Amino acid sequence: MKSVRHLFPALVLLTAFLAIWEGYVALSGASLLVLPAPSDVLKGLWVERDDIARHTLATLGVAVVGFGLSVVFAFVVSVILHFSSWLRRGLMPLMVASQTVPIVALAPLMVLWFGFGLLPKVLLVILVTFFPMVVSLTSGYASLQRAFRDQLVSMGATRWAVFRRATLPSARAHFFSGLRISATYAIVATIFAEYAGARRGLGIYILAAKNNFRADLVLSAVLVSACLTLVLLATIHGIERTTGRRYRRANDA
Amino acid sequence: MLELRDLTIRAGAETLVEDLSLTLAEGSLTCLIGPSGCGKSSVIKWLAGVLAPELSARGEAAIDGTTATVPHRDIAYQPQQNTLFPWLTAAENACLGLEIGGMDRRAALDRVKVLFPTFGLEGHENSFPDQLSGGMRQRAAFLRTIVQDARVLLLDEPFSALDAVTRLRMQDWLVQRLAERPRAVLMVTHDLYEATQMADRVLVMAGGPGRLVADIPITTPSAERNETALAEIRSSLKLMLLKETS
Repeated sequence: MKSVRHLFPALVLLTAFLAIWEGYVALSGASLLVLPAPSDVLKGLWVERDDIARHTLATLGVAVVGFGLSVVFAFVVSVILHFSSWLRRGLMPLMVASQTVPIVALAPLMVLWFGFGLLPKVLLVILVTFFPMVVSLTSGYASLQRAFRDQLVSMGATRWAVFRRATLPSARAHFFSGLRISATYAIVATIFAEYAGARRGLGIYILAAKNNFRADLVLSAVLVSACLTLVLLATIHGIERTTGRRYRRANDA
Repeated sequence: MLELRDLTIRAGAETLVEDLSLTLAEGSLTCLIGPSGCGKSSVIKWLAGVLAPELSARGEAAIDGTTATVPHRDIAYQPQQNTLFPWLTAAENACLGLEIGGMDRRAALDRVKVLFPTFGLEGHENSFPDQLSGGMRQRAAFLRTIVQDARVLLLDEPFSALDAVTRLRMQDWLVQRLAERPRAVLMVTHDLYEATQMADRVLVMAGGPGRLVADIPITTPSAERNETALAEIRSSLKLMLLKETS
């Protein structure tokens, strides 16, 4: 009930937006090739459901594999950076610089270097989603309260023991923030990678629909990709809420 | 028992504490008082081995005449605030020092749980810090410090976050707990009433740079300590502190 109340304003605005869109198309007589109405998009989605489902599964597979590997990779790198200030000073500027490379330029290069298989798409997802997680984790590690560290050090704790017992638990909220930011990029990055070259996936489906002047199917695929991102975010939110209840306790206790 | 020799602490070119030496005897409770910024917390942090990295220090600590490197297993430290980890239960918090010292978690939990009634925490073994009152949290922090069985306890303003009534109750309670086993206790406080009520000895620090300016034994027995009995000492301490801050 609480979540429905929380989502109510968004649902009202979305409904109003769709109603205005539908009304405008009906009254202006806009061509289906240029601006399909929301009802046309839904109709296209229903008619093409088998085909779209097949491409959606391919996109979801790449996104989940890429995002999963990215989480593991980001965690390992963040731990290494935490323990080596030399590497942190050396790698952080390079990682920041890597984020200035446009994905539009990178996606075709990945296909050129690694072909049309899974690898270039997974690599692209990792490249896009890795950085926000590393930044969130390193900020989380830095948020450790000095008193917690001092307490453990005075007991004779090693650097690893301080990390495991205090630094890591302190960074949990930051980790999930980074995870949410990266999750919003994961599906988009996968579609971009598919757009640049793939046999299956929503990216290649959108490209084919656009070439056939099927704006309704382009928007159907966009709708599905938005839903995939929302499902991914809801899954992360669910994991955060159901695990580690003790770590959500007030830090000022 | 614990000897601190010629401790000098610097922040860049500025000297915070200069050539400070003190000794702590077994079974004594020594309070270190002084104006804000005189370096009393830095002294206790150096002894605990947790001096801020931006500070540099030179000096020597010795236990029973033998030079000791800090942090040391015979020295337990309790920071000023936020001493309990919010994601650990009271029992898990209390056994942290034992676990770091190498004790098996189950054995450490068994050992601290036995002490919960003595520390007024019975039934709260599985409570998280935000479920405890301020006084209970502080008692859990004391339990964690005391259970480590260190011979020297360093307490950095342990009552600063408590309300006035809880603070008074906790002072008497802590004196009783500490009397159960002979240890050397060094407690930093800015409250001269607290210092004279609890301590056997009060060390007064002055700032700019930090140094000891007085070493005052409190010989009045604990049971006889009240406003009248301690009036003279408190008055002279107050004048001394006012002079050092003027």
